Amino acid sequence: MNEPTPHHPIDRPIHRPIDRRTFLTRAAGTAAVVLGASAVGWRLGHPHRPPPFDGRVFGPPGVATVAVLRAAFYDEGLEATVLDGLRQIGADVHGARVLLKPNMVEYDPGSAINTDPRLVAAAVTAMRRLGAASVTVGEGPGHRRDTGYVVNASGLAERLRDVGAPFVDLNTAAASLRHTNSSYTGLGELWLPQAVTDADVVVSMPKMKTHHWVGVTLSLKNLFGTVPGRVYGWPKNALHWASIEGSILDIAGTVRPRYQIVDGIVGMEGNGPIDGVSKPVGLLVFGDDPVATDVTAATIMGMDPERVPYLQEAGRFLGQPDPARIRQVGEEPSSVITPFAPAPGFEGLRA
Amino acid sequence: MASPRTHVRILRGGGDLARSLHPGCHPPDNQGMPLAFEDRLRASRNTDGGFGPIEGAASEAEPTALAALALDDDASRRWLLANQRGDGGFGPVVGSVVRDDTGVAALALANGAERERALDHLVATFGSNGPGAEGDALGWPWSDGTHGWVEPTSWALLALRAHRPNEAARLADGLALLRSRESVGGGWNFGDRTMLGVDLHPYVQTTALALFAVHGLDPGLASRGLDVLLRRWEAEAAGLLSLAVAAAALRRFEAPAAPVAARRLEAFDPSGADTVALAWATIALGPGLRSLEVP
Repeated sequence: MNEPTPHHPIDRPIHRPIDRRTFLTRAAGTAAVVLGASAVGWRLGHPHRPPPFDGRVFGPPGVATVAVLRAAFYDEGLEATVLDGLRQIGADVHGARVLLKPNMVEYDPGSAINTDPRLVAAAVTAMRRLGAASVTVGEGPGHRRDTGYVVNASGLAERLRDVGAPFVDLNTAAASLRHTNSSYTGLGELWLPQAVTDADVVVSMPKMKTHHWVGVTLSLKNLFGTVPGRVYGWPKNALHWASIEGSILDIAGTVRPRYQIVDGIVGMEGNGPIDGVSKPVGLLVFGDDPVATDVTAATIMGMDPERVPYLQEAGRFLGQPDPARIRQVGEEPSSVITPFAPAPGFEGLRA
Repeated sequence: MASPRTHVRILRGGGDLARSLHPGCHPPDNQGMPLAFEDRLRASRNTDGGFGPIEGAASEAEPTALAALALDDDASRRWLLANQRGDGGFGPVVGSVVRDDTGVAALALANGAERERALDHLVATFGSNGPGAEGDALGWPWSDGTHGWVEPTSWALLALRAHRPNEAARLADGLALLRSRESVGGGWNFGDRTMLGVDLHPYVQTTALALFAVHGLDPGLASRGLDVLLRRWEAEAAGLLSLAVAAAALRRFEAPAAPVAARRLEAFDPSGADTVALAWATIALGPGLRSLEVP
């Protein structure tokens, strides 16, 4: 039998065949970790070891800007709201090749699994108005090998056709090997689509959701969909095996998303990212820093970002986790908190 | 649901972004009418004889093996032989991730020493199921050292049934995995029956493929899976891959819906489709289906 080699230096593999017994065991361990976590110390970051990221690449995080705007519906006013949000964070995409990366996971009529296709189309138009040289939408679903099914059935295909935007299936697109800028998984290298590596600006467009493995899934976790299933399988089990949190950090540290647009018009609470319940929030969150954006979105969800382990670790090198150094525009996050029911086992994340 | 002809193309992601095609536009070689699946598949062959995951991308084992099955194609087989790994397996190696496409490749290869090496690799490869796994079966993984899943296990079962029918222990293990991962009511998700107490519904694509693997081994399992496929194939027909694998299975098992599925498939615009989907569509509509028949 080919037993997995614990080649990752930082973390143990946490993903196991998914049944309730396994989950409960894992969740109990995670809860213990969460409760014991401090602002900068987590099990990923062994204090006596060198940081598992290249400080020359990342540098200290600066002041971030996050805009929280009200948007009650996916209606015709959406495009103006998206444009407003991008302007408020100072998004500069003039002359840039932009890749929008929504979260298209699965199709389930009536559910809030995916970034709403109307928001994606609005973002395409807004990017063009801001002078983008090209705007492409790309996704590599982990839950469905048949990307065409997700894109067509969800309505994304129709919306993209309306605005004349191309879609790239990141699971099958031409790709190349990139060294990771951090080593939380020990993989060392990632196979990344050229649609991602050639883009001047990658915009992560997650759905505001709880997640039954990592607590919340926002702009950082959304980047799982940038790595191709044809290498990592469906679901992307090689990454799960190497550690989900570690993979989030290594992927985000390599893809480096410039901007974020979180679909919080209707989010998902409970047993996300697929089997949860729709959660109307009526907000869009825009940011120029993925950690600051996710910290803000998690706060709005009623979670304590300091208790989300991968977010805390991301704050060491991927962006700004300190609310005092996040310039908030639009709605003040504390005034629009809409508590989400946590994913099972993640009750300890509540603020 | 939109009609198949109005679907957006899943664009070729090769090269720079400027090469991407816009939805609604046919590729330049299309002359206004979509090429048939088989023609489009043949047209996407690389000069090295193999096939990439999309037209223009470097050749890889899985699309090349599927093309070999679909087209009964010696050039594809030669590419596979030239790209067999030292351990007998097939698939890209990306850093420490070793993707394993040996099942489908072994099924596609002609008789010979290389196929035997591939089969040896299959016999020696196990999925890794940790504590709390659903049952004891190990199956086959997507990549070395990870869990067993429905799709790679189905291909491995097919290859062993076709070329190593005496490998009783591995055949039993593969079947046991597919039994343990069967969705409630039949059919298969990717490889889990439940998640956190929630029953996972079956997918058309995985159910159709697994049906090829278990047919003749477990009548009850196959029957339930076929029932699921008959109920669900139209609901997922918006995806070419799902529709193509479903149409192949429905035809293979002579389901009454097979002609309807075939017509639906024939009407699907293949522009921009990836190679695996094209190969499955070619299999579903052509003689390549015989390559998936095992004793």
